Amino acid sequence: MRKKVEIPEGKKVKVSVGEEEFPFEISPMFEGERIRKGDMFVELAGPKQPGFELVISLPSDQVEDLKATLVGVDVDEMEEGGRYPFAMIYYIAGEKIDPDIEPIVERRNHEFQNYIEGFMHINSRDTIWCRIGKNMIKKGLKSLLQIAKATMLLFKNEMPFIEKIEALYITDRELVEKLLEEMARPIYEERDARVEKLHDEDVDEFYSCSLCQSFAPSHVCVISPDRPALCGAITWFDARAACKIDPEGPNRAIPKGECLDPIAGEYSGVNEFVKQESGGSVEKVKLHSFFDAPHTSCGCFEVIGFYMPEVDGIGFVHRGYPDTAPNGLAFSTMAGQAGGGKQTVGFLGVGMAYFRSKKFLQADGGWYRVVWMPKELKEKVLKYIPKDMRDKIATEEDAKTMEELKEFLKRVDHPVVKGVVRPVDGKKITDGWLEEKEEEEKEEREEVEKGPEVPATFPTQIPTQVPQISAPTIRLVIKNAKIYIDKVVIRKVEDKKE
Amino acid sequence: MVVIAVTGKGGTGKTAVAALLVRYISEKTSKVLAVDADPDSNLPDALGVEVERTLGDVRELFQVSRDSLHDKSSWLEGKIFETIHEFENFDLLVMGRPEGEGCYCFVNNLLRGILKKFMRHYDYVIVDCEAGLEHFSRKTIESADYIIVVTDTSRKGLKTARKIKELAKELELNFREIFLVGNKVAGDEAKRVIKDFAKKENFVLLELLPYDERVVELDLKGEPIVNLPETSEFARRVRFIAEVLTGWGE
Repeated sequence: MRKKVEIPEGKKVKVSVGEEEFPFEISPMFEGERIRKGDMFVELAGPKQPGFELVISLPSDQVEDLKATLVGVDVDEMEEGGRYPFAMIYYIAGEKIDPDIEPIVERRNHEFQNYIEGFMHINSRDTIWCRIGKNMIKKGLKSLLQIAKATMLLFKNEMPFIEKIEALYITDRELVEKLLEEMARPIYEERDARVEKLHDEDVDEFYSCSLCQSFAPSHVCVISPDRPALCGAITWFDARAACKIDPEGPNRAIPKGECLDPIAGEYSGVNEFVKQESGGSVEKVKLHSFFDAPHTSCGCFEVIGFYMPEVDGIGFVHRGYPDTAPNGLAFSTMAGQAGGGKQTVGFLGVGMAYFRSKKFLQADGGWYRVVWMPKELKEKVLKYIPKDMRDKIATEEDAKTMEELKEFLKRVDHPVVKGVVRPVDGKKITDGWLEEKEEEEKEEREEVEKGPEVPATFPTQIPTQVPQISAPTIRLVIKNAKIYIDKVVIRKVEDKKE
Repeated sequence: MVVIAVTGKGGTGKTAVAALLVRYISEKTSKVLAVDADPDSNLPDALGVEVERTLGDVRELFQVSRDSLHDKSSWLEGKIFETIHEFENFDLLVMGRPEGEGCYCFVNNLLRGILKKFMRHYDYVIVDCEAGLEHFSRKTIESADYIIVVTDTSRKGLKTARKIKELAKELELNFREIFLVGNKVAGDEAKRVIKDFAKKENFVLLELLPYDERVVELDLKGEPIVNLPETSEFARRVRFIAEVLTGWGE
């Protein structure tokens, strides 16, 4: 429950209520203005003094509209060139106002205070940094309460759902430091925890990102709460913020539409959007699927996932890992195959942040299908790996080759060995390693040789094994896959020991 | 806001010209931003100031810490403000090291927006940039009003000048004018080479700067060029360039 600040006895307090004339201009054209050191009267908060800004919601009867209170020294008592602690707290009330809206309102403080001529506001939360210009004093600024009033009026003008607003500004060091620790930081933490809990089903819109289209013309990132951009840089919140500023820019809103598959994360709105944006080359995208209509990849991804049919599991390798993965390929080689906005089944570019998603590849078993990742990567994401899987995912210390990986997975009894049951609905999605007794189906192999751009759709769930007629030979196990192949060359290799 | 880009092949003296322009223009207005956009040169040294932070460092910091940032644009804006060095008459932004591996699309896109909003509050932005005009091609700096190409009489210097002009056109920088400034011009033959080149390549020849022992010496020692005596021919002529540019600028 939110509470008003209790101002300790003995502090210097100044109060002003109601509207007034301002001795400064207010306009968006002042946005981004830097008050240079030489032009600065005083600095408030910033790199050298404590400070914060905080918006909290209260019941309407506790908020006195357009009341501004200052605790501590005011502008007319400050020394030119000085630096002072500074906190700005706003109490807001209104029918539609609840704690969820606080951060959205709070974020606008930056924008509105930037509209004030001669006032600089940078950063947010407990990193705010303000300056008052000498020109403001010359023009007749007498009190911080005037700044508070101007800001409150901007809030009410721009966000009409705020019915009442009251401001408490503090320059008293002791009180700023106390409230920062006891009030502001716990609220910031509470909000961050709420953000982590936001999922795809909680929102109506996803966002696109087409920043990479200069490199990958048919690629478009679909950014949802459970799936950040694959470059790792843009979360759903970032994209939403960018979209608000420039709705026609690189981050546009994607109405979710109808949810076609809640497990794989398929939405009619997303399908329409990617089809249009990719010029028709991508028909549909399932956000949390590795094998069926996976998300396309630009070239920016931090990590690439790769399917290893030999073990029927997925490995991941990050950009910084210099060696080859158990499939014999390095990051750069795989990145070359999967990049460029193609929908490449068997490879999937992801951002580091996707590993902490609750929906991480949930259609394909999520973590229970992951068999290998470099130690460095595994350590980074360890806390997101379910406890019972932490020892079952191999690193280069456990396995460098496919044979070693097989041995390892058998030893630790990895789910892929006996078949993966996906946690989301308890469905058994793989059969496990079928030993050599499997039926032989040799015809499948030729079918993929039909020429360019002919999709060969393999029936799902049927392992396609090329028989061991005589050594040397290859074995293809393809499950759950659609494959587009330009050309297949099958060549006899010289007999050699593995 | 007037953006003046000073460029040219390395060693032609472009940084000396840029530094003196910062000095003379900042005598007229204190709203001057100097931008060091050439990782190979050293505008801070030429200006006689020390810097410890660069935008490149901020960009790298962004790349490694972005997962834990809540409002990336705001964070970046704050860091840029912290990266600006403030001196008595001007502010200085050092762009710093080039990009590493990984994807910079998003951070560059944020930078574009922030720098655009931030730069417009200065009267003059003076950019010392390498011949490839990297920050202009990435649009981290949106455009230049005046481009000053500094060259000596060497074939390489002139060739680079020609390339810069082509590049500036290709990038659609919408500049108002592209100027040529000849440097280390000693003797009539040298003057003729530069003049003929300007005519042939359709450059407005703004000024011919003399070969000055002291400029070379200060440069060699890494001492501030702004210590050059006011009375020297070199300083006098750069002051003239500053006057011409501010005359047009206003």
